[in-house]
Amino acid sequence: MGIAIEEENHYGFRLSDELILLRDQIRRFMREEVKPIEDTLPHDAIGCGREDRIRLRAMAEAMGLTRLTVPEEYGGNPVSAMARAVIAEESSKCRLGGYAPALGAFGGGPPNIIWGGTPDQIERYGIPCVEGKMRAFVAITEPTGGSDPRNNISTRAERDGDEWVLNGRKMWITGAEGADFGILFARTRDGTAEAPPEITAFIVEPTFFGINFNEIKVIRALSPYEIILENCRVPVGNVLGTVGQGFGVAQSWLVDARIPYAAGCIGMAQEALDMACGWVKQRPTRDGMLADKQAIQWMIADSEVELRAARMLVYDAASKVDAGQSGKVDASICKLYGTETAGRVVDRAIQMFGGMGVAQEMPLERWYRELRVKRIGEGPSEVHRMVIARDKLRNTNGGVYFS
Amino acid sequence: MKVLVPVKRVVDANVKVRVKSDGTGMDLANVKMAVNPFCEIGIEEAVRLKEADIATEVIAVSVGASQCKEQLRTCLALGADRAILVETDEELEPLAIAKVLEAIYEQERPEIVIFGKQSIDSDNGQTGQMFAALTGIAQGTFASELRITDGKAEVVREIDGGLQTVLLSLPVAISTDLRLNTPRYASLPNIMKAKKKPMDVTSPGDLGVDVGARTTVLNVAPPPERAAGIKVESVDELVDKLRHEAKVIE
Repeated sequence: MGIAIEEENHYGFRLSDELILLRDQIRRFMREEVKPIEDTLPHDAIGCGREDRIRLRAMAEAMGLTRLTVPEEYGGNPVSAMARAVIAEESSKCRLGGYAPALGAFGGGPPNIIWGGTPDQIERYGIPCVEGKMRAFVAITEPTGGSDPRNNISTRAERDGDEWVLNGRKMWITGAEGADFGILFARTRDGTAEAPPEITAFIVEPTFFGINFNEIKVIRALSPYEIILENCRVPVGNVLGTVGQGFGVAQSWLVDARIPYAAGCIGMAQEALDMACGWVKQRPTRDGMLADKQAIQWMIADSEVELRAARMLVYDAASKVDAGQSGKVDASICKLYGTETAGRVVDRAIQMFGGMGVAQEMPLERWYRELRVKRIGEGPSEVHRMVIARDKLRNTNGGVYFS
Repeated sequence: MKVLVPVKRVVDANVKVRVKSDGTGMDLANVKMAVNPFCEIGIEEAVRLKEADIATEVIAVSVGASQCKEQLRTCLALGADRAILVETDEELEPLAIAKVLEAIYEQERPEIVIFGKQSIDSDNGQTGQMFAALTGIAQGTFASELRITDGKAEVVREIDGGLQTVLLSLPVAISTDLRLNTPRYASLPNIMKAKKKPMDVTSPGDLGVDVGARTTVLNVAPPPERAAGIKVESVDELVDKLRHEAKVIE
């Protein structure tokens, strides 16, 4: 008794039956629960009303799809990287997909680095996030740059009795305003010839003395923030992890997040392409439909091929992480290709729609703007290219004919 | 109390289907398949009976090709306890399916059998009634409400012009209408658990049922496309055309 897939003679990559079933559930959720709410929101809304959000969260809770990155012992439902990728792709297929996939129904929980904290920190900051009572931000990037934090971070933390005193500025911090706390990285020792520089993670609250937020208006509706620290006083008990080892805790969290990040971009782009296919089949031109034009067909073919390739790279990186291997380079590869592909595909979809493509009543112009940000967030394309190239050069020595 | 729910694998309701160019049937290559929506309502109702401690076991059964396992797996994820696939590659008509289900009924002896009122592919709407006739048990079709009390099933039926309530003795065959319930989302933990739930595979031959076709499909054709409309210059022209071309007024 063979399973269906063998009978179809399909020996290539295929999602497991469970993930296909999960994907179908989320597609229905997006169609039946999310879209009707989105249809009532302004085109650039950054969230839905409180009642709707609570209802959606309750449904997601019943589906076992909240707190996906929270460890089980703290009440989480951790899932595989592959499942996270599938959820990210499908839940991004909506107007708010770029920054509030499925209107924020799924996922949730604090930045995972909090679980490296003390029992007291976990109880005060971690658990309330799991219960939806608190929200947190993470602040790494500064005006001096964000891609090489170990060397770029110039925010200083000096010990003063039972407190640390922080001075400096953070930039482009998403979700900072209105959060209950943040995990902020500051320099606790400059590098010298004998000793490397040291970065430490601190848990800061907006009520602490000396911390202020400035909104930075950007191309998307959801603003990031500048955080100004002027003699900001942080209790010693709010050092997260060991002094000087802030990046140990952040590294794998940053890498793993890139995979669903890419998957979400692919979701929006796939929806854009599918929308465009519906349109060109019904748009008459002087001789035949838009879909009959080679210029259109090539855009559709290129987009479909590139999206499939991008998705396979996401699955490849996710399966590596699930196998317990380091997915650092693989995550860079799928982040780079996923975000750049999605931008190209949405651009083509807009072209196929013509004027309607840039109309605000359609989600395309919004995705176009937001996907531009995705090539910068979570590490810009160029940094990922560097990571990939360095890895390739390090491990490759000329093949069979030139070694 | 056992509840048996027959489910059919059909084209997903969100797919726009196409007729094959040679007119022999529908083009199902690479088409997304799903549990027939009315059957899904049946599963939901059965699972609710179990949650209300009325049913003790929910069994999903499907008759068809090996791929029907995908839909049975969905039913298990939605809360069915086990599944039976009666595997056959024959083209099946309602009577053949009703006979197979009669054989399953004799094996399992459920007290409630919940059908979808029709499948969204062939739209026959016959299997539940044929099954009730073959087994001789009571039938409550097009149910929009179902209550089980004291060995009886109270079924509110959607009929032309209103609702009819009937009280039926168990065992009973029910068929679901749209308003009976809204099926739940399968939760991720239940999706994972479904993998471990039992699924038996048998065949019409094993059950001693002849599923040979009694009818032949001669041709399948899409509905004729509507011709483009025209614009008229005046009311007089409209009236003239309605009278002489459309011939809908005197």
